[in-house]
Amino acid sequence: METLSKAALAFESPLTRRSIIASYFLVILLALPLWWNTTSIERQALPISRVSAQTGRELLFPVHVAVNTSASDINAGVLAQEVQRYVNRNEDFTRDGLELRVSSDAATAKDYQVNVRFGTHDPVVVGREVTVEVPPEHASVAAMRVADTLATLLAPYSSLKSLATASHAERVVSYSPRYRLAFTLLNEDAAAGNAALSWDVRGALSAQLSPFLERLSVLHNFTIESQVQYHGPLAFEPRGLQVAEKTQYGLTPEDLTVFVNSAEWMLSSSVSNDPVLHFIAFIPSSKHTPLRILDNNGIPTASSAFMLPQWGGIVIYNAETIGVARTLATRPLDNIFATFRQQLSALLGVPELPAHVQARSPGVSDWQLDALIRRRAAENTAGAQETLQSILRLVAQIGDMPVGEDVRGDVEDALAALDKTYSSAPSSAVEALTFASKAQVVASRAFFNPGMLALLYFPAEHKWAVYAPLFASVSAPLLASVIREFLAWKKERAAKKARSEQRQKVD
Amino acid sequence: MAVNIVKILPLLLTVFAYISTAASHADQGAPVQSFFERHRGSGSAHTNNWAVLVCSSRYWFNYRHMANALGMYRTVKRLGIPDSNIILMLADDAACNPRNKFPGCVYANSGRHLDLYGDNIEVDYRGYEVTVENFLRVLTGRMDESVPRSKRLLTDDRSNIFVYMTGHGGNEFLKFQDNEEISAFDIADAFEQMWQKKRYNEIFFMIDTCQANTMFSKFYSPNILATGSSEMSENSYSHENDFDIGVAVIDKFTHYVLQFMEGINKTSQASMQDLFDTFDPKKLDSHPGVRSDLFRRPLDKTLVTDFFGGVAQVEIIPPVLDEPVTLAGEQALRTDASSATGDQDVFIDPTTLAVTCDAPNASTTTASGLRQHVGPGIDFTILIAAAAQSEVSPQTSLTSTLRAWTSSVLILALVSWTAVTRNRHPSGQ
Repeated sequence: METLSKAALAFESPLTRRSIIASYFLVILLALPLWWNTTSIERQALPISRVSAQTGRELLFPVHVAVNTSASDINAGVLAQEVQRYVNRNEDFTRDGLELRVSSDAATAKDYQVNVRFGTHDPVVVGREVTVEVPPEHASVAAMRVADTLATLLAPYSSLKSLATASHAERVVSYSPRYRLAFTLLNEDAAAGNAALSWDVRGALSAQLSPFLERLSVLHNFTIESQVQYHGPLAFEPRGLQVAEKTQYGLTPEDLTVFVNSAEWMLSSSVSNDPVLHFIAFIPSSKHTPLRILDNNGIPTASSAFMLPQWGGIVIYNAETIGVARTLATRPLDNIFATFRQQLSALLGVPELPAHVQARSPGVSDWQLDALIRRRAAENTAGAQETLQSILRLVAQIGDMPVGEDVRGDVEDALAALDKTYSSAPSSAVEALTFASKAQVVASRAFFNPGMLALLYFPAEHKWAVYAPLFASVSAPLLASVIREFLAWKKERAAKKARSEQRQKVD
Repeated sequence: MAVNIVKILPLLLTVFAYISTAASHADQGAPVQSFFERHRGSGSAHTNNWAVLVCSSRYWFNYRHMANALGMYRTVKRLGIPDSNIILMLADDAACNPRNKFPGCVYANSGRHLDLYGDNIEVDYRGYEVTVENFLRVLTGRMDESVPRSKRLLTDDRSNIFVYMTGHGGNEFLKFQDNEEISAFDIADAFEQMWQKKRYNEIFFMIDTCQANTMFSKFYSPNILATGSSEMSENSYSHENDFDIGVAVIDKFTHYVLQFMEGINKTSQASMQDLFDTFDPKKLDSHPGVRSDLFRRPLDKTLVTDFFGGVAQVEIIPPVLDEPVTLAGEQALRTDASSATGDQDVFIDPTTLAVTCDAPNASTTTASGLRQHVGPGIDFTILIAAAAQSEVSPQTSLTSTLRAWTSSVLILALVSWTAVTRNRHPSGQ
């Protein structure tokens, strides 16, 4: 019987059998790297040391101020030294990232110049120059006056913080290289008799806003859209008032917070992902005209405009005569757009000139623009740094978060842009802003990379439940065959040994 | 001393100059004063509100979950959050279901008084778009470039976000579409990522599902206030049936929250504490939880409208003066501090909070991992879900190790059994 089965399975030698079994294990062994490669999460190494080296690095803008006293008999060199002393003592400058050097050297194009002369007028700003007048009998306080004026002009965000700009941080929109400005002419109810059917928006924009936008074009790129709506009801009933035997309608401060009826006014523009700033010219219907803004005591104020922080501005337009105007243009519209400009300027964080400083020409002065550029550059730098650090923190904290090649590339690009920001800050604030905003954009892109979505959390029980039915059943026959082979091999060896012993005995 | 005075003098001069201009317009000066007073010490003022409303379950018999989410949608919209700031995720379209006897309508009460679907509704994610991945992408902002604005949560560090979730859930998970689950860890991690990228000022998280309170037990990021409908191993129940619609129309917890919200208007001063005080375990048949240990403001100073409302503050702008063309009738005013306000911020006091967290301890075991909403009517979801979820019942670390060892031993036993029995044959021959 034994010889027969052996003959039938002649090909079955222990060697063949063992190599077949071994081939299974070989496949498993070869597949292991593939399995490892496909199931492990790609986590590129991020430049941790370079990012952590960024902490505490602050953007510094060296600024040169030239003091010119040719119009008075004050010694320029001595005055410059005195001003420098006051400046060094004032922390507002360092808080705004300024390294001020005051001297009596001649000013170049990008330097600031202070002209000191005798007189009693308020300081006047022209370009990068400011003219400070000192009464001749108070020539000794000239340095103090100059230092004070410089503080309010060069570091407006720090020095005016306690006063007008307390709400600055809440009001100003966060920086974006692009904004959409959405202008809406909103009639409360055009059918009720008081309305403007169209407006000369192009004319008003070019007259009132274009110079301003042009001035800010180094900071932002603006896209403008406009619309006219004929039915935009309020969500509440304005309060009726009797003023000088005429009925007026009032908006209490509480009403103002809910003035925008977002459910019924179609304001949203979803064409792009750029932040939108809304500007609304609201024409009350004939049954709510004139509509006034009330103060906390319920008394009408002279103001007819208000602003929602980070959102936009609203102007309520009460026409002198009730009726339907075909086109809203010229003076009333110019006034509305002048207010829009003021609101936009506040929303974008343009610092106001201090109360006592006069500007020779209208519009944003160089001092204001430079301060804003420095401010935005510093903000973007800090933002980029923070974003990079939070990427590192999250990657360390959440083990299942993939980090792809593009994320690492973006992080490195952001670091490079940050380095360029620091190196270009001394020569040009505008260039520093360009690099800082690039760093911020790229760092955010790294953070928001769609591939960075962490795998879902699964408890260990889940993994067992998924893998056990497959691998347990596969591993059982494989392991069993190994054990069987091992036992067979042992038996064979024992038999061989027994045979050779027998042979020895026979011998 | 003299040096000090000299140093302060320019500042005093500035202040005086400012006051003299401001004082000439007394009606402007007073609001400015009050504006600054109100804002002193308040570090967490928000300027915009967002809402993420998720109904994660499909199928007609889950009508009530759609109604839950739509009820919240209606409320936040009524209280002033614009559609552009609401992300509404509905896993199914109950309004257009062929079984809906009232096509195009979703009702949340048995009398069918109020159609929640209405004529002005914007569903941002619907049907099979409602997935765990999409939800996490919405929160973290990790989206493809091509995703439109309406599907994005474009928040910043001044945003208050209301996150509402409803569906079928269990201990530390919520089912999406009957084929995947989001765990409490995933949401906690997503919130942490939002915090790191400054994507919120404060979050109010509300969840109506079974064992809802377990869902917020894993949060660890600051400024999150959370509430849920039921404790661990407790069901959340539906509120009522409508016999014409044929299914339960709303869940109890959401029903009573919405009932409270009906009494709130845009300028209401009701606080979060008032809302939580209305939770009544007797009416709900479950124990709702509040977690406020991560939240910095006292709950009785936190307005409901801080999360459900629109904007909270305005600044009045004086008319423009420096214009060459000014209307004769308009009185020109110019002050430098141009701020009066109808601000509703509450004073924020960073003290500890009165309400303690009743989030359940994760290490206690539950007898059964499956807890489902049980409507008064027949609910087949129990059977379906029981089969789907039996493998994810919670385990303590001890039992799970025990089980792992037992299964390893079993496998080994199996292996040796195969080896030994097959081995016996040749020896028997």
